[in-house]
Amino acid sequence: MAAAEFKTGLLGAIPSLRAFAVSLSQNADKADDLVQETLMKAWDKQSSFEPGTNLKAWLFTILRNEFYSQMRKRGREVQDSDGIMTARLAIHPAQEGMLDLDDFRTALDQLPADQREAIILIGASGFSYEEAAEICECAVGTIKSRVSRARTRLHEILQIDGEAEFGPDPVATQVLGSNIP
Amino acid sequence: MTDKREVPRSKAGAGRRDDPLGPNSEIGRKLKQYYSALVTDDVPERFEQLLSKLESVESGQEES
Repeated sequence: MAAAEFKTGLLGAIPSLRAFAVSLSQNADKADDLVQETLMKAWDKQSSFEPGTNLKAWLFTILRNEFYSQMRKRGREVQDSDGIMTARLAIHPAQEGMLDLDDFRTALDQLPADQREAIILIGASGFSYEEAAEICECAVGTIKSRVSRARTRLHEILQIDGEAEFGPDPVATQVLGSNIP
Repeated sequence: MTDKREVPRSKAGAGRRDDPLGPNSEIGRKLKQYYSALVTDDVPERFEQLLSKLESVESGQEES
């Protein structure tokens, strides 16, 4: 792949990389440092990228590895201790379809890192389970179980009832749906 | 560069309603809202400058 084409690909991936970096590090400044490190690593490893494969997934893998290697260097515990933060959270029960984005962000921050990254990759970044498994270097089943646990945990923190989580009532949804030209 | 990935079966047609993070899920909708706010954030110029710098260093090496 030509350097110019590769560069264009990297440029196009920056917004996604930043979003993933913020999701992982929960800190905008650290996130941008992570993205910068990722871009430099990617440039150096350019020859190991196979054209035609998913550049975004390849870059996410580099960013994720960089994140965890920085965490290890800092000697910090990556995993949040399950449950402790959750107990301290006092988020009011969500009204249907009225869940506040800040509350959601707070809840997301309380997830263990492995669950948070899994639910972000699957539910927001648009990766398949197979791609997410490659990025996280684990089995597809592991991603599935992390996503499932993340959902359960978010439901608990946000006090969303499993059955009541469907936004507008079914009739409104039907009406809205039928109005789409 | 486009993401040429296969649409997962669960998202194509019949399985759609069962997608636990799909449009019918409050969590799924919030996740996408949270993430799209991050993705649409303005990108600092330093990244484009960095890539241009890397590119010029590389092309300089090739010429010599």
